[in-house]
Amino acid sequence: MTNAIQLHQVTAGYRDTPVLQGLSLEIEAGEMIGILGPNGAGKSTLFSVLSGLLRPSSGTVKLNGIEVHRMPPAERARTIAVVPQELDVPVPYTVEEIVMMGRISAIGRFSSPSDEDRLRVERALVYTDATDIRHRPLNELSGGERQRAIVAMVLAQDPRIILMDEATSHLDLNHRLEIMQLVERLNRDDGVTVLMISHDLQIAAEFSRRLILLDHGTVVADGTPSAVLTEDSLRRVYHCDVRVHQDPHSGGISILAAPRLPAPGSGKGIHIHTLGGGGCGEAILRRLTLCGYTLTSGVLNHGDKDAEVAGALGTSTALEKPFCPISREALDEARKLARNAHALVLAPVPFGSGNLANLDLLDEALAAGKPVFIATGFENRDYTRNRDAVARVQALLTRGATLFQDVADLIPLLPTC
Amino acid sequence: MNSRRNFGLVIGLAPLILGLCVLMGPSGIGLPDIHVQRDILILRLSRVLAGFIIGAALSCSGVVFQAVLRNPLAEPYVLGVSSGAGLGAALAILTGFAGAFTTALPLCAFLMAVVTLAIVYGLSSHSSTPSLYGLILSGVIVSAVCSSLLMFIISATSLEGMHNILWWMLGNLDLPSDPVLGLSAVLVAAGCAGLWLMARELNALTLGHQMAHHLGIRVKAAILAALLLATLLAATAVGVAGLIGFVGLMVPHIMRTLVGSDHRRLIPAAAIGGGAFLAVCDALARTVMPVEIPVGVITALLGGPFFLVLLKHRRTPGWIG
Repeated sequence: MTNAIQLHQVTAGYRDTPVLQGLSLEIEAGEMIGILGPNGAGKSTLFSVLSGLLRPSSGTVKLNGIEVHRMPPAERARTIAVVPQELDVPVPYTVEEIVMMGRISAIGRFSSPSDEDRLRVERALVYTDATDIRHRPLNELSGGERQRAIVAMVLAQDPRIILMDEATSHLDLNHRLEIMQLVERLNRDDGVTVLMISHDLQIAAEFSRRLILLDHGTVVADGTPSAVLTEDSLRRVYHCDVRVHQDPHSGGISILAAPRLPAPGSGKGIHIHTLGGGGCGEAILRRLTLCGYTLTSGVLNHGDKDAEVAGALGTSTALEKPFCPISREALDEARKLARNAHALVLAPVPFGSGNLANLDLLDEALAAGKPVFIATGFENRDYTRNRDAVARVQALLTRGATLFQDVADLIPLLPTC
Repeated sequence: MNSRRNFGLVIGLAPLILGLCVLMGPSGIGLPDIHVQRDILILRLSRVLAGFIIGAALSCSGVVFQAVLRNPLAEPYVLGVSSGAGLGAALAILTGFAGAFTTALPLCAFLMAVVTLAIVYGLSSHSSTPSLYGLILSGVIVSAVCSSLLMFIISATSLEGMHNILWWMLGNLDLPSDPVLGLSAVLVAAGCAGLWLMARELNALTLGHQMAHHLGIRVKAAILAALLLATLLAATAVGVAGLIGFVGLMVPHIMRTLVGSDHRRLIPAAAIGGGAFLAVCDALARTVMPVEIPVGVITALLGGPFFLVLLKHRRTPGWIG
């Protein structure tokens, strides 16, 4: 048996920046699948590739065993349909006219809609509870009614695969469930394959039997909801803490966004000195500022990405001239800032001979009994000739510096008032 | 359904209106005596026919530009046809070709309109599918360049030439010669029929490129074919009658309120309704004043208030309609 959807080593994207990177995926006919992932993970690009809107730069995309860009458009429309998040229709079509558009490729150029076409439109209107609004112009309707009309159009199209691109995110709770139940019914009774992108993990978990978690254009996790929705995998992909509870009776999964990173203002009155460069310290600067810490930074080079961010956030920064190694004067200035700090943070900065001097500040802080935090992975960022930076950081660690993964890890470690 | 009844009304009333137009002329109102004033009758008939053809061409092309560019302000001249044709006409008048051959002026205007459009398409379709904003933007720019060239030509020309060019630009149906009229009738009929056959593609394209693709339309080919046909219509109209404004912008909106947005009905309704509308405007332009006034004046004066009344009665969000 051929798979409903088969992607083999698909690389695709826009203007030379690949979003999907060697993605392979097999989906059998009749599956109901939730596609999850953070913004920019490649979910929408995956849908564009599946629907034939975007041709992959390499790899193959097959629907029912046929490459999608080789399908004649009418056959493609019978095979796969898309429910978009919303449809902007500038012309006042009535709901019935919109639903009839689902039959466009089935109706010949020289003929009018057949009885079968009309029957399908009628059935789609009934299924989506849209018979009352059939003569109303689409752009007069509420968001929920409009979305129902669009789902009805896709039903009338009668495809074997339906892609739902955040199709219910504008709907209220009741209509969201109603549309999902409708789609579930199609899936169960007619064997329609359904893929849905959703940022609502709860709904995705409830209605899909298989979840695919994407990040950076590749599959990170693929399996049953309880296997994919783990605190660990979600944290790795979404970079924030979540709590996952499985109800022991119903088996339903509930996901709570964790108590957010320390409440804004939790860092009030605490001074942190950060060492970064080249944009690696940006997230740390931003998140710590949002939490109310008073930040200082440096030595950074003038015009450096981190220096710009620090400037925009109003952080006092010790600056060196662009592209110059750290001078004694700049280091002294940074030393003054660091002396006022309660703790020092070393961002995941690449080391060369030019910025090695910044490590002096950490030495001095440890000597003064202040906590020092160092981003993991420094071994891979050392570009000094004799790997001096690695040796020096390891020395710092043995003297009591603490490692951290990312900024979400870092915040609980920082000193409090 | 209201829209179906209105569609019947538009189709049914059009011959009546055209008949009335034949009764009107500068020589008096009423049917001319067939035996004595045979020439006057033929004159009026061909004039009404010209009005009908040009009106149909402009309205149909307006419908299509609005649908494909998904912009309610789009009209037949939006991609620079008018300025290109204007330049062509000015050149024909100045070089004396227009005086020498009756077909030279419309032909020059038509050719320049087509050349302008080729340039606009070329500028905007560097990627696989031409972007809508790219089309509109390059249309505006090419149009501006043509206009400034035209202004330069007008400023450098004699008083008589200037008058001729300006009169042409105001737009009038001042009796195109028979071969021109016949050829344009064929072109316009072919263009309108072609667009009617593309009704389902036009319907899908108004939902946006992506949705049209999902519905099984060859988007790139459909856009290209629709714009080419619409351009053919616009270029024909400009070549024969100069720049007649308002028809291509407003008649599509008026027809949309009357017969709905489904292009299977909208295209024929726009062709017939727009043709009748321009014929009436032209009849008035010939009769209301002792001197003939440019028909473009009438189209705006008559159509504007009518359109506002429709707008007031049917207030729906989104597009006027």
